[in-house]
Amino acid sequence: MQYELRQQVIEPRRKTFQHLIERYGDRGASRYEEGTIDVQATENFHYRPLWDPAHELYDQDYSALKLTDPYTFTDPRQYYYAPYVASRAELHESFGKTLGYLESRDLFDRLPDGWRTVLMQLMVPLRHYESGAQLVTVNGARFAYGTTVEQCLSYAAFDRIGNAQLLSRVGITAAGGTADALADAKRAWVDDGSLQGLRRLVEELLVERDWATGVVGFDLVDRMLYPLLYRYLDEAALLGGAGAYSLVAQHLTGWFADHRRWIDALIAAWVTDEQHGAANRSALGAIVTARLPQAIEAVTAVATAIDGAIDVGAIDAVRRQAQELTAALDATMNTEEMA
Amino acid sequence: MANTKKLSMKQRYSALTRDLDWESSYVSEEELFPHTKFEGIKIHDWAKWEDPFRLTIDAYCKYQAEKDKRLYAVLDGFAQSQGHLTLSDARYLNAMKLFLQGVTPLEYQAHRHFGYLARHLNGPGPRFAALCQSIDELRHTQTEIHTLSNYNKYYGGLHSWSKMHDRVWYLSVPKSFFDDAISAGPFEFLIAIGFSFEYLLTNLLFVPFMSGASFNGDLPSMTFGFSAQSDESRHMTLGLEAIKFLLEQDEGNVPIVQGWIDKWFWRGYRVTALVAGMLDYMLPRKVMSWKEAFELYFEEQMLGGLFKDLEFYGITPPRHVEHAIAEKDLLSHQVYWTLYSFSFAAAFTTTVPEAGERAWLAEQYPDTFNTFYKPRWDKAQAIIDGGGRFFFQGLPQLCQTCQIPMVFTEPGDPTTLCQRHSVYRGERFDFCSDGCKWIFDREPEKYVQAWMPVHQIYQGNCGGPSVPEVLAWYGIQDGDNGEYTGSLDHLDWRRWHASEPAVASTTKES
Repeated sequence: MQYELRQQVIEPRRKTFQHLIERYGDRGASRYEEGTIDVQATENFHYRPLWDPAHELYDQDYSALKLTDPYTFTDPRQYYYAPYVASRAELHESFGKTLGYLESRDLFDRLPDGWRTVLMQLMVPLRHYESGAQLVTVNGARFAYGTTVEQCLSYAAFDRIGNAQLLSRVGITAAGGTADALADAKRAWVDDGSLQGLRRLVEELLVERDWATGVVGFDLVDRMLYPLLYRYLDEAALLGGAGAYSLVAQHLTGWFADHRRWIDALIAAWVTDEQHGAANRSALGAIVTARLPQAIEAVTAVATAIDGAIDVGAIDAVRRQAQELTAALDATMNTEEMA
Repeated sequence: MANTKKLSMKQRYSALTRDLDWESSYVSEEELFPHTKFEGIKIHDWAKWEDPFRLTIDAYCKYQAEKDKRLYAVLDGFAQSQGHLTLSDARYLNAMKLFLQGVTPLEYQAHRHFGYLARHLNGPGPRFAALCQSIDELRHTQTEIHTLSNYNKYYGGLHSWSKMHDRVWYLSVPKSFFDDAISAGPFEFLIAIGFSFEYLLTNLLFVPFMSGASFNGDLPSMTFGFSAQSDESRHMTLGLEAIKFLLEQDEGNVPIVQGWIDKWFWRGYRVTALVAGMLDYMLPRKVMSWKEAFELYFEEQMLGGLFKDLEFYGITPPRHVEHAIAEKDLLSHQVYWTLYSFSFAAAFTTTVPEAGERAWLAEQYPDTFNTFYKPRWDKAQAIIDGGGRFFFQGLPQLCQTCQIPMVFTEPGDPTTLCQRHSVYRGERFDFCSDGCKWIFDREPEKYVQAWMPVHQIYQGNCGGPSVPEVLAWYGIQDGDNGEYTGSLDHLDWRRWHASEPAVASTTKES
């Protein structure tokens, strides 16, 4: 049995906005497309910025990395605001549950000493690293050219402050609802030798004038740090009786996988761009040359401190990751030649 | 030293936002924040910034996701039920065409440039507040597009809003306004948009559209308006905190901020001229007159309330405000007559107000309508009765600052056009008012750069020398422009309603 509703049928004059019809034909467009494609102004800007008169208000030349048409790149996750906040609401809710569980079972207190050191003196201080990432990323959100690109950066910037808050909440909970651990974490971030390579890198990336140089440079550090802290140590934590560490790390691993989807797609779009591909590859190559050794050194210092606390082979893991990352970057740079 | 007390809500918020900051040592503060010195604003202690709201990321995402779920449910239901057929009239959508072409791109600009503040202000408190506003503004951009997307399928004028915002003459009014703000320094932007646009003028700019929606059966836009309300109230408190913070930090900031209030009041007020025309003439079912809106939202709430509070800091009501007050009886009529005369080159239609509307206008504007403006409409009607339609032949002169055609009249004399000019580097520039001339004169090197639509047409940069070529370059399609009566929207509307009272029927099958 079923019933059939009749509706008044009116033939639409067009199925979507004109700029989408011109790109994709007159077909129904998704909300991602309608809310993203060709949204940013592209011409007839009235005034030059007082803070940078050499550029237009929106200008490809804010970066050496360019796309012939920024809308050839789209977010593989198709995030516009509504699905973005829905997905992050879920992430934070699920993290909140984890934190509640850890607190109710006193699992932070029951961490083996070495693991507690790693958590409090290395992981929680990274809330400042995340905060730095937010600043580097939001700079891209303002200065990137085209809504597809900047929208990913805007959400990523919001994500990074979200990550910073998530790590801070670990610190607050592990210190019994006080700010003691956060104060220690800030001291570690500012003073501990094991974190100074990272902090120096973050501060240097913050003052990069080319937004993409900052964002890509930061990504190189992420690609060394995230797999070490949240994937490799997650495995080690399970073997080492540090369940609390693993339960926290899984959320950051999950986030990083989601994050990689757009940034890998953007890098792929840059290196294969028909007009700017070669120049982009050379600009990316320059960033890698300048920042990858620094990133490896900074994360090795973190690994050294980890091994000092729990001796899980973190230094070797970083060495392997560095090789893998170098190989992956080589492959990326040679994409066009391989094709 | 260990602080062993549990965190209060306020301390917790602070720990999760501003405490994420640290003092850099590998690079200097000047390198980190290179844009916060040149405007002359002095900030001695960024920690004195009072957070205007306290939403952590988890709470923000949860709350916003719930709001969006409700909003999109309304949009889907309205689309599925052909809800557009229940609007007061198809011509109501002219207001929403103006909104999508003129306002939505400003939401987007706000999104981008609050991102700039989220990077470039030295203080972590205001940076985080700006980050939240940046992403809110992206929400507004997208929800507005999605709200109006369904109308775009059935009506003209909505299809090319972003290209039009970059090209069409009357849209250079809002575009140049916002370009002016984002090309300024970070503190001026904060006062221009955070304070003047989002606080001082928001009830005049934004609310008339949303109230118009609710009076005219536009459920999606009305729902959007309500859904944006809690975001907007956060933005308003940010704007208010911004101005208080700047004024409290250093006495030397007061004259700088006063200059910006003076500039941005008049700059924003001139943008609201388009809203005035919309409110009095485009809505088939009236909400309130421009005059009434101006008296309530500006004279009473701002001059009578806000500026009384700001007196304490030595801030006075904006320069040229007396001209705006004196103009409240004239503004909408002068603007809409201009739109009527030039709507062959617009992406909306206009029409002579109906008899009932003329009576309403006469009632709302007893001192001016019958004397100055009704005779014009009578003439326009006589031309229509004779089988014609009045359009202005030729291109108007635009004000170099606000870019509105020079249609406003001398203060105190509604029959003489107001014209001002300045000479800069040997060239003459014209203005519609003392306010616009004053703004130009304090930064001539900025305003001479303006992309003036009429000049650009004469210079051959807009598709060609003829009207059809320019319209094609604007992206205007058949049926978007000109007279409403007999337009494509009007004919479709009549056809869709011809078989009424037909009711969609429900049949059951087994």
